[in-house]
Amino acid sequence: MLFSASATPLMSSFFPPPPKKPMRFSGAAIRSSSASNFDLKTYWTTLITEINQKLDEAIPVKSPTGIYEAMRYSVLAQGAKRAPPVMCVAACELFGGDRTAAFPTACALEMVHAASLIHDDLPCMDDDPVRRGKPSNHTVYGANMALLAGDALFPLAFQHIVSHTPPEIVPRATILRVITEIARTVGSTGMAAGQYVDLEGGPFPPSFAHEKKFGSMGECSAVCGGLLGGASDDELHSLRSYGRAVGMLYQVVDADGSESALEMAQELSLKAKKELQVFDKYGDALLVPLYTFVDYAAHPHFLLPL
Amino acid sequence: MPAAGAVEMIHASSLILDDLPCMDNDSLRRGKPSNHIVFGESTSLLAVQALAALAQKMVSTSLEVPSKRVVQAVKEMVGAIERLVVGQAADLAGEGMSYEKDEGLIYLEFIHDHKTTPLVQVSAVLGSIMGGGSDEETERLRSYGKCIGLMYQVVDDVLDANKSSEELGKTAGKDLMSRKLTYPKVMGVEKARKYAEMLNKEAQKQLQGFDLAPLSSLADFIVNRQN
Repeated sequence: MLFSASATPLMSSFFPPPPKKPMRFSGAAIRSSSASNFDLKTYWTTLITEINQKLDEAIPVKSPTGIYEAMRYSVLAQGAKRAPPVMCVAACELFGGDRTAAFPTACALEMVHAASLIHDDLPCMDDDPVRRGKPSNHTVYGANMALLAGDALFPLAFQHIVSHTPPEIVPRATILRVITEIARTVGSTGMAAGQYVDLEGGPFPPSFAHEKKFGSMGECSAVCGGLLGGASDDELHSLRSYGRAVGMLYQVVDADGSESALEMAQELSLKAKKELQVFDKYGDALLVPLYTFVDYAAHPHFLLPL
Repeated sequence: MPAAGAVEMIHASSLILDDLPCMDNDSLRRGKPSNHIVFGESTSLLAVQALAALAQKMVSTSLEVPSKRVVQAVKEMVGAIERLVVGQAADLAGEGMSYEKDEGLIYLEFIHDHKTTPLVQVSAVLGSIMGGGSDEETERLRSYGKCIGLMYQVVDDVLDANKSSEELGKTAGKDLMSRKLTYPKVMGVEKARKYAEMLNKEAQKQLQGFDLAPLSSLADFIVNRQN
């Protein structure tokens, strides 16, 4: 499905028009139609190019080479959408932040994301031999090296933030808040909880694992971007809900095309957009990337060919 | 105090990781079944991740210390964790390899500079940073940490060569069985013992001028321990 910048509102091409609440839907559709003039593809692809270069520089191959090669294999994988870093940068710029301030954190988010995928694919976890159409990390490097590669990416991500975020632009207290946010996302109340419940079950609602496993990264990316851009606590709260909904939306869209998946996708899509309404005051230009992020979750291949 | 808790968490998480089937495959730790035996491999893996994350959070949310120092502390801690993981990777890569005597020692020092000493070093360093030590004081504690970390490993290797599982609290003779490089293998048991004593002297030297009896006795304890 090729992306076309001048397409009519995407909502109608993907989601059947809802029978109820037409007012709310048309409000979002109006936003989408102005958004469709925004060239998200160029915005996203130029950002991706810059992020890829920074990631390449962030993980040089040192001795012992094995682990660094394993890390690079997953982080620099072709076909990665770089959603966490792009969302982080977009959220930072929404508040007038400088993207140079956001890049180290954006890279760190991608490293953490890659690490969680490496671990997810391991035989003792989801046991996936393939990732993004290629052999998963442990298939190439072995389970022990893949495990270590994932474990090394977490500290490297934090290291990258503290050593590359310019303290003259971002106050140290803010850098620490970003670190804390990522640590919380990765830990026992975030992604780890989601993976645990996914594997072991427990007295939790079905959405719990889904929310923790996929919502967490989106939430984290948006909030970190907001922190770096100087968002207020209330604004961070909205970003959090927005990011969580988008994270979950991407997963639902990736999963299957069932009726319930479509319904859930629509619900999440509307929820995400609703959270963005408080940011109207910042103007369309800065807000549009975050809106169209939601629309194009429905078209995971829109970036091809890069 | 949060930093102290954090390094213990990192230590625990590294031990859980080390014991996993795809790593050293140890079913016994401190005289009890290791983490993955009790909870399963996948839960243990997640516990490693969660502990490291919690340690990170504990340090980064330290309230009583100026931000500049906390950022420095975070940097030191993640540097240590990275070295730990890289050390484990190097260890895996080197298992079963044979080395000429000198190369063996160089390789061993690399492994332990990455596997054993980082945590001990960073414990001392973090204490200094959080406590308001000067850069020079922090560096001396870094050297102290390096000495006792290395010393710990040398003594560990010597004990493994000599004692039984019961006395050690973990599976003995494993190093011999796995053909892993150890200090006794590279330099002989007697020389290894002497090396440990020399490291202790060096560690004590670094502490001169500080009023740090606990650290001094710690060094002595390590060199004389039996398990």
